[in-house]
Amino acid sequence: MDKELEHSFVSDLEEHQNIVHKVCRLYAPDAESHNDLFQEITIQLWKAYPKFRGESKFSTWMYRVSLNTAITLYRKSKRTIKTADIEISDFKISAETYDDVVEEKLKLMYTAVKQLNDIEKALVFLYLEDKSYKEIADTMGISEVNARVKMNRVKTKLKKILNP
Amino acid sequence: MDELELLKKDWQKQEASLPKLSYDDIYKMILKKSSSIVKWIFVISIVEFLLMVGLEITARFNGTYDTYEDIGLSSEFNVVLSCISFGILIYFMVQFYKNYRRINATDSAKVLMENILKTRRAVKRYVFINLSFMAIMLLFVFNYMLFYSQEFEVLQQASDRDVPIYVLGIAFLMIVIVVVGAIGLVYYMIYGLLTRRLKKNYKELEKLEL
Repeated sequence: MDKELEHSFVSDLEEHQNIVHKVCRLYAPDAESHNDLFQEITIQLWKAYPKFRGESKFSTWMYRVSLNTAITLYRKSKRTIKTADIEISDFKISAETYDDVVEEKLKLMYTAVKQLNDIEKALVFLYLEDKSYKEIADTMGISEVNARVKMNRVKTKLKKILNP
Repeated sequence: MDELELLKKDWQKQEASLPKLSYDDIYKMILKKSSSIVKWIFVISIVEFLLMVGLEITARFNGTYDTYEDIGLSSEFNVVLSCISFGILIYFMVQFYKNYRRINATDSAKVLMENILKTRRAVKRYVFINLSFMAIMLLFVFNYMLFYSQEFEVLQQASDRDVPIYVLGIAFLMIVIVVVGAIGLVYYMIYGLLTRRLKKNYKELEKLEL
Protein backbone atom coordinates (compact mmCIF):
# COMPACT_ATOMS: atom_id res chain seq x y z
CA MET A 1 0.00 0.00 0.00
CA ASP A 2 2.74 2.42 1.01
CA LYS A 3 4.70 1.55 -2.11
CA GLU A 4 1.62 2.20 -4.20
CA LEU A 5 1.10 5.57 -2.56
CA GLU A 6 4.76 6.45 -3.09
CA HIS A 7 4.55 5.48 -6.72
CA SER A 8 1.40 7.47 -7.44
CA PHE A 9 2.79 10.50 -5.61
CA VAL A 10 6.16 10.51 -7.35
CA SER A 11 4.49 10.03 -10.75
CA ASP A 12 2.02 12.86 -10.09
CA LEU A 13 4.77 15.18 -8.94
CA GLU A 14 7.02 14.25 -11.84
CA GLU A 15 4.24 15.21 -14.19
CA HIS A 16 3.45 18.52 -12.48
CA GLN A 17 6.94 19.47 -11.27
CA ASN A 18 6.90 22.69 -13.31
CA ILE A 19 4.61 24.32 -10.74
CA VAL A 20 7.15 23.71 -7.98
CA HIS A 21 10.06 24.89 -10.15
CA LYS A 22 8.25 28.11 -10.93
CA VAL A 23 7.59 28.78 -7.23
CA CYS A 24 11.28 28.12 -6.55
CA ARG A 25 12.34 30.52 -9.30
CA LEU A 26 10.32 33.24 -7.70
CA TYR A 27 11.38 32.68 -4.11
CA ALA A 28 14.88 31.23 -4.31
CA PRO A 29 17.69 33.64 -5.17
CA ASP A 30 20.10 31.06 -6.59
CA ALA A 31 20.36 27.52 -7.89
CA GLU A 32 21.34 26.06 -4.54
CA SER A 33 18.38 27.61 -2.73
CA HIS A 34 16.19 26.52 -5.62
CA ASN A 35 17.09 22.89 -4.99
CA ASP A 36 16.75 23.34 -1.25
CA LEU A 37 13.27 24.82 -1.56
CA PHE A 38 12.24 22.21 -4.12
CA GLN A 39 13.31 19.53 -1.65
CA GLU A 40 11.29 21.05 1.20
CA ILE A 41 8.19 21.52 -0.98
CA THR A 42 8.45 17.89 -2.08
CA ILE A 43 8.56 16.74 1.55
CA GLN A 44 5.59 18.90 2.49
CA LEU A 45 3.62 17.65 -0.53
CA TRP A 46 4.45 14.07 0.37
CA LYS A 47 3.45 14.61 4.00
CA ALA A 48 0.12 16.08 2.94
CA TYR A 49 -0.48 13.58 0.14
CA PRO A 50 -2.40 10.94 2.16
CA LYS A 51 -4.93 13.66 2.95
CA PHE A 52 -5.32 14.60 -0.69
CA ARG A 53 -8.64 13.06 -1.59
CA GLY A 54 -9.01 14.51 -5.03
CA GLU A 55 -11.67 17.10 -4.14
CA SER A 56 -9.60 19.50 -6.17
CA LYS A 57 -7.23 18.95 -9.04
CA PHE A 58 -3.78 17.71 -8.07
CA SER A 59 -2.27 20.85 -9.58
CA THR A 60 -4.57 23.19 -7.61
CA TRP A 61 -3.62 21.40 -4.43
CA MET A 62 0.04 21.66 -5.40
CA TYR A 63 -0.14 25.44 -5.80
CA ARG A 64 -1.39 25.71 -2.25
CA VAL A 65 1.17 23.47 -0.57
CA SER A 66 4.06 24.85 -2.64
CA LEU A 67 3.24 28.48 -1.85
CA ASN A 68 2.60 27.68 1.81
CA THR A 69 6.01 26.07 2.02
CA ALA A 70 7.76 28.95 0.26
CA ILE A 71 6.04 31.67 2.30
CA THR A 72 5.62 30.07 5.70
CA LEU A 73 7.19 26.71 6.36
CA TYR A 74 10.53 26.98 4.61
CA ARG A 75 13.41 28.15 6.72
CA LYS A 76 15.78 30.07 4.50
CA SER A 77 19.39 28.99 4.62
CA LYS A 78 21.78 31.19 6.57
CA ARG A 79 23.20 32.82 3.49
CA THR A 80 20.77 35.66 2.98
CA ILE A 81 21.16 37.40 -0.29
CA LYS A 82 20.10 40.98 -0.74
CA THR A 83 17.74 41.78 -3.58
CA ALA A 84 20.45 43.82 -5.25
CA ASP A 85 22.64 40.74 -5.62
CA ILE A 86 20.00 38.66 -7.31
CA GLU A 87 20.87 37.51 -10.77
CA ILE A 88 17.95 37.58 -13.11
CA SER A 89 19.71 35.25 -15.51
CA ASP A 90 17.62 32.38 -14.19
CA PHE A 91 14.72 33.76 -16.14
CA LYS A 92 15.39 32.75 -19.69
CA ILE A 93 13.92 35.38 -21.87
CA SER A 94 13.36 34.11 -25.36
CA ALA A 95 15.34 36.87 -26.96
CA GLU A 96 14.85 36.06 -30.60
CA THR A 97 11.14 36.62 -30.48
CA TYR A 98 11.32 40.06 -28.88
CA ASP A 99 12.86 43.29 -29.91
CA ASP A 100 15.34 44.95 -27.61
CA VAL A 101 12.83 47.33 -26.06
CA VAL A 102 10.48 44.54 -25.06
CA GLU A 103 13.33 42.43 -23.80
CA GLU A 104 14.61 45.26 -21.68
CA LYS A 105 11.14 45.83 -20.30
CA LEU A 106 10.76 42.16 -19.40
CA LYS A 107 14.10 42.12 -17.63
CA LEU A 108 13.02 45.11 -15.57
CA MET A 109 9.69 43.46 -14.82
CA TYR A 110 11.33 40.29 -13.51
CA THR A 111 13.69 42.33 -11.35
CA ALA A 112 10.73 44.32 -10.04
CA VAL A 113 8.74 41.18 -9.21
CA LYS A 114 11.72 39.78 -7.30
CA GLN A 115 11.73 42.92 -5.18
CA LEU A 116 8.15 42.42 -3.99
CA ASN A 117 7.51 40.96 -0.54
CA ASP A 118 6.58 37.28 -0.05
CA ILE A 119 2.82 37.82 -0.08
CA GLU A 120 2.85 40.11 -3.10
CA LYS A 121 5.01 37.60 -4.96
CA ALA A 122 2.43 34.90 -4.24
CA LEU A 123 -0.37 37.05 -5.65
CA VAL A 124 1.63 37.92 -8.76
CA PHE A 125 2.60 34.28 -9.20
CA LEU A 126 -1.00 33.08 -9.12
CA TYR A 127 -1.96 35.92 -11.47
CA LEU A 128 0.79 34.99 -13.92
CA GLU A 129 -0.37 31.38 -13.73
CA ASP A 130 -3.75 32.64 -14.95
CA LYS A 131 -5.65 31.77 -11.78
CA SER A 132 -9.03 33.37 -11.12
CA TYR A 133 -9.41 35.86 -8.27
CA LYS A 134 -11.57 33.27 -6.53
CA GLU A 135 -8.69 30.76 -6.61
CA ILE A 136 -6.16 33.40 -5.55
CA ALA A 137 -8.39 34.37 -2.62
CA ASP A 138 -8.91 30.73 -1.56
CA THR A 139 -5.21 29.93 -1.70
CA MET A 140 -4.22 32.95 0.35
CA GLY A 141 -7.16 32.82 2.77
CA ILE A 142 -8.41 36.33 2.00
CA SER A 143 -11.63 37.59 0.43
CA GLU A 144 -11.99 37.90 -3.33
CA VAL A 145 -12.51 41.65 -3.08
CA ASN A 146 -9.31 42.05 -1.09
CA ALA A 147 -7.43 39.88 -3.57
CA ARG A 148 -8.50 42.23 -6.38
CA VAL A 149 -7.69 45.35 -4.39
CA LYS A 150 -4.27 44.01 -3.43
CA MET A 151 -3.51 42.89 -6.97
CA ASN A 152 -4.28 46.40 -8.23
CA ARG A 153 -1.98 47.82 -5.60
CA VAL A 154 0.77 45.45 -6.64
CA LYS A 155 0.29 46.52 -10.26
CA THR A 156 0.70 50.15 -9.21
CA LYS A 157 3.74 49.24 -7.16
CA LEU A 158 5.31 47.46 -10.13
CA LYS A 159 4.56 50.44 -12.35
CA LYS A 160 6.31 52.70 -9.87
CA ILE A 161 9.36 50.46 -9.72
CA LEU A 162 9.48 50.41 -13.50
CA ASN A 163 8.97 54.16 -13.97
CA PRO A 164 10.50 55.88 -10.97
CA MET B 1 -1.73 47.00 -17.37
CA ASP B 2 0.11 46.02 -20.54
CA GLU B 3 3.45 45.41 -18.80
CA LEU B 4 1.99 42.71 -16.59
CA GLU B 5 0.19 41.13 -19.53
CA LEU B 6 3.47 41.09 -21.39
CA LEU B 7 5.09 39.42 -18.41
CA LYS B 8 2.27 36.88 -18.22
CA LYS B 9 2.84 35.84 -21.83
CA ASP B 10 6.56 35.47 -21.28
CA TRP B 11 6.02 33.69 -17.96
CA GLN B 12 3.94 31.02 -19.58
CA LYS B 13 6.60 30.43 -22.20
CA GLN B 14 9.34 29.63 -19.69
CA GLU B 15 8.34 25.96 -19.28
CA ALA B 16 11.03 24.78 -21.69
CA SER B 17 13.79 26.34 -19.63
CA LEU B 18 12.69 24.81 -16.32
CA PRO B 19 14.76 22.01 -14.79
CA LYS B 20 13.41 18.49 -15.26
CA LEU B 21 13.79 16.04 -12.40
CA SER B 22 13.51 12.32 -13.01
CA TYR B 23 11.26 9.89 -11.14
CA ASP B 24 14.29 8.70 -9.16
CA ASP B 25 15.37 12.21 -8.21
CA ILE B 26 11.93 12.92 -6.77
CA TYR B 27 11.76 9.53 -5.08
CA LYS B 28 15.05 10.24 -3.29
CA MET B 29 13.65 13.56 -2.09
CA ILE B 30 10.67 12.06 -0.29
CA LEU B 31 13.01 9.95 1.81
CA LYS B 32 14.75 13.02 3.24
CA LYS B 33 13.79 14.84 6.40
CA SER B 34 11.99 18.15 6.54
CA SER B 35 13.64 21.22 8.01
CA SER B 36 10.57 23.41 8.19
CA ILE B 37 10.03 25.99 10.92
CA VAL B 38 7.24 23.87 12.41
CA LYS B 39 9.71 21.08 12.89
CA TRP B 40 12.14 23.43 14.58
CA ILE B 41 9.51 24.80 16.95
CA PHE B 42 8.58 21.20 17.72
CA VAL B 43 12.19 20.16 18.37
CA ILE B 44 12.90 23.17 20.60
CA SER B 45 9.76 22.53 22.64
CA ILE B 46 10.66 18.88 23.16
CA VAL B 47 14.12 19.95 24.31
CA GLU B 48 12.50 22.41 26.73
CA PHE B 49 10.23 19.77 28.17
CA LEU B 50 13.08 17.29 28.53
CA LEU B 51 15.25 19.92 30.17
CA MET B 52 12.51 20.71 32.69
CA VAL B 53 11.95 17.07 33.56
CA GLY B 54 15.72 16.51 33.70
CA LEU B 55 16.20 19.44 36.09
CA GLU B 56 13.40 18.24 38.32
CA ILE B 57 14.80 14.70 38.50
CA THR B 58 18.39 15.86 39.06
CA ALA B 59 17.27 18.22 41.80
CA ARG B 60 15.48 15.36 43.50
CA PHE B 61 18.48 13.06 43.37
CA ASN B 62 21.34 15.40 44.21
CA GLY B 63 19.53 16.77 47.23
CA THR B 64 18.82 20.34 46.15
CA TYR B 65 15.41 19.97 47.70
CA ASP B 66 17.01 19.13 51.01
CA THR B 67 18.27 22.69 51.23
CA TYR B 68 14.67 23.85 51.34
CA GLU B 69 14.23 21.65 54.34
CA ASP B 70 17.49 22.99 55.81
CA ILE B 71 16.15 26.51 55.74
CA GLY B 72 12.99 25.34 57.40
CA LEU B 73 10.58 24.77 54.52
CA SER B 74 8.59 21.59 54.96
CA SER B 75 8.73 18.60 52.63
CA GLU B 76 5.00 19.10 51.93
CA PHE B 77 5.98 22.40 50.37
CA ASN B 78 8.28 20.51 47.99
CA VAL B 79 5.60 18.03 47.04
CA VAL B 80 3.16 20.83 46.25
CA LEU B 81 5.78 22.61 44.16
CA SER B 82 6.56 19.48 42.16
CA CYS B 83 2.89 18.76 41.60
CA ILE B 84 2.31 22.26 40.28
CA SER B 85 5.30 22.22 37.96
CA PHE B 86 4.47 18.77 36.55
CA GLY B 87 0.84 19.80 36.18
CA ILE B 88 1.93 22.78 34.09
CA LEU B 89 4.24 20.56 32.07
CA ILE B 90 1.57 17.96 31.24
CA TYR B 91 -1.08 20.57 30.46
CA PHE B 92 1.20 22.30 27.97
CA MET B 93 2.44 19.09 26.39
CA VAL B 94 -1.17 18.17 25.58
CA GLN B 95 -1.90 21.70 24.33
CA PHE B 96 1.20 21.75 22.25
CA TYR B 97 0.54 18.38 20.67
CA LYS B 98 -3.02 19.38 19.80
CA ASN B 99 -1.84 22.58 18.15
CA TYR B 100 0.91 20.78 16.31
CA ARG B 101 -1.55 18.28 14.86
CA ARG B 102 -3.67 21.13 13.58
CA ILE B 103 -0.90 22.51 11.36
CA ASN B 104 -1.68 21.47 7.81
CA ALA B 105 0.12 22.60 4.67
CA THR B 106 -3.07 22.22 2.64
CA ASP B 107 -4.86 25.01 4.51
CA SER B 108 -4.96 28.48 3.05
CA ALA B 109 -1.85 30.60 3.67
CA LYS B 110 -3.63 32.61 6.35
CA VAL B 111 -5.04 29.66 8.29
CA LEU B 112 -1.68 27.90 8.18
CA MET B 113 0.11 30.96 9.55
CA GLU B 114 -2.52 31.37 12.28
CA ASN B 115 -2.10 27.76 13.38
CA ILE B 116 1.67 28.03 13.53
CA LEU B 117 1.45 31.27 15.47
CA LYS B 118 -1.02 29.62 17.86
CA THR B 119 1.46 26.81 18.50
CA ARG B 120 4.23 29.28 19.04
CA ARG B 121 2.07 31.30 21.42
CA ALA B 122 1.33 28.16 23.46
CA VAL B 123 5.06 27.57 23.83
CA LYS B 124 5.56 31.21 24.74
CA ARG B 125 2.85 31.00 27.40
CA TYR B 126 4.51 27.90 28.78
CA VAL B 127 7.84 29.69 29.00
CA PHE B 128 6.23 32.73 30.58
CA ILE B 129 4.42 30.68 33.23
CA ASN B 130 7.55 28.70 33.95
CA LEU B 131 9.64 31.83 34.36
CA SER B 132 7.03 33.45 36.61
CA PHE B 133 6.80 30.28 38.62
CA MET B 134 10.57 30.24 38.98
CA ALA B 135 10.71 33.92 39.97
CA ILE B 136 7.96 33.53 42.57
CA MET B 137 9.58 30.44 44.00
CA LEU B 138 12.99 32.12 44.27
CA LEU B 139 11.48 35.22 45.87
CA PHE B 140 9.55 33.06 48.28
CA VAL B 141 12.62 31.09 49.29
CA PHE B 142 14.79 34.20 49.68
CA ASN B 143 12.05 35.92 51.63
CA TYR B 144 11.78 32.93 53.90
CA MET B 145 15.54 32.84 54.38
CA LEU B 146 15.68 36.52 55.29
CA PHE B 147 12.79 36.78 57.67
CA TYR B 148 11.85 33.40 59.02
CA SER B 149 14.71 30.98 58.95
CA GLN B 150 16.81 30.66 62.05
CA GLU B 151 19.61 28.86 60.26
CA PHE B 152 20.17 31.88 58.11
CA GLU B 153 20.31 34.14 61.13
CA VAL B 154 22.94 31.94 62.66
CA LEU B 155 24.86 32.00 59.40
CA GLN B 156 24.69 35.77 59.23
CA GLN B 157 25.85 36.20 62.80
CA ALA B 158 28.79 33.94 62.15
CA SER B 159 30.10 36.20 59.38
CA ASP B 160 32.39 39.09 60.32
CA ARG B 161 30.37 41.93 58.88
CA ASP B 162 26.80 42.73 59.65
CA VAL B 163 25.02 43.24 56.38
CA PRO B 164 21.75 45.14 56.67
CA ILE B 165 18.73 43.10 55.71
CA TYR B 166 17.55 45.48 52.98
CA VAL B 167 20.89 45.13 51.19
CA LEU B 168 20.46 41.37 51.19
CA GLY B 169 16.89 41.79 50.01
CA ILE B 170 17.96 43.95 47.08
CA ALA B 171 20.79 41.55 46.23
CA PHE B 172 18.36 38.62 46.15
CA LEU B 173 15.94 40.56 44.01
CA MET B 174 18.76 41.38 41.59
CA ILE B 175 19.70 37.71 41.38
CA VAL B 176 16.10 36.79 40.53
CA ILE B 177 15.88 39.51 37.86
CA VAL B 178 19.19 38.56 36.26
CA VAL B 179 18.49 34.81 36.21
CA VAL B 180 14.93 35.12 34.91
CA GLY B 181 15.92 37.90 32.51
CA ALA B 182 18.79 35.88 31.03
CA ILE B 183 16.60 32.83 30.41
CA GLY B 184 13.87 35.05 28.98
CA LEU B 185 16.36 36.66 26.61
CA VAL B 186 17.53 33.29 25.30
CA TYR B 187 13.93 32.30 24.53
CA TYR B 188 13.21 35.63 22.94
CA MET B 189 16.18 35.21 20.64
CA ILE B 190 15.44 31.60 19.68
CA TYR B 191 11.78 32.19 18.83
CA GLY B 192 12.31 35.70 17.56
CA LEU B 193 14.78 34.52 14.94
CA LEU B 194 12.68 31.52 14.02
CA THR B 195 9.41 33.32 13.47
CA ARG B 196 10.47 36.77 12.31
CA ARG B 197 9.67 36.11 8.66
CA LEU B 198 6.43 34.30 9.49
CA LYS B 199 5.21 37.20 11.59
CA LYS B 200 6.11 39.70 8.91
CA ASN B 201 4.16 37.78 6.28
CA TYR B 202 1.21 37.28 8.57
CA LYS B 203 1.04 41.01 9.25
CA GLU B 204 1.17 41.62 5.51
CA LEU B 205 -1.79 39.29 4.99
CA GLU B 206 -3.72 40.86 7.84
CA LYS B 207 -3.20 44.29 6.37
CA LEU B 208 -5.10 43.09 3.31
CA GLU B 209 -8.15 42.37 5.38
CA LEU B 210 -8.45 45.87 6.79
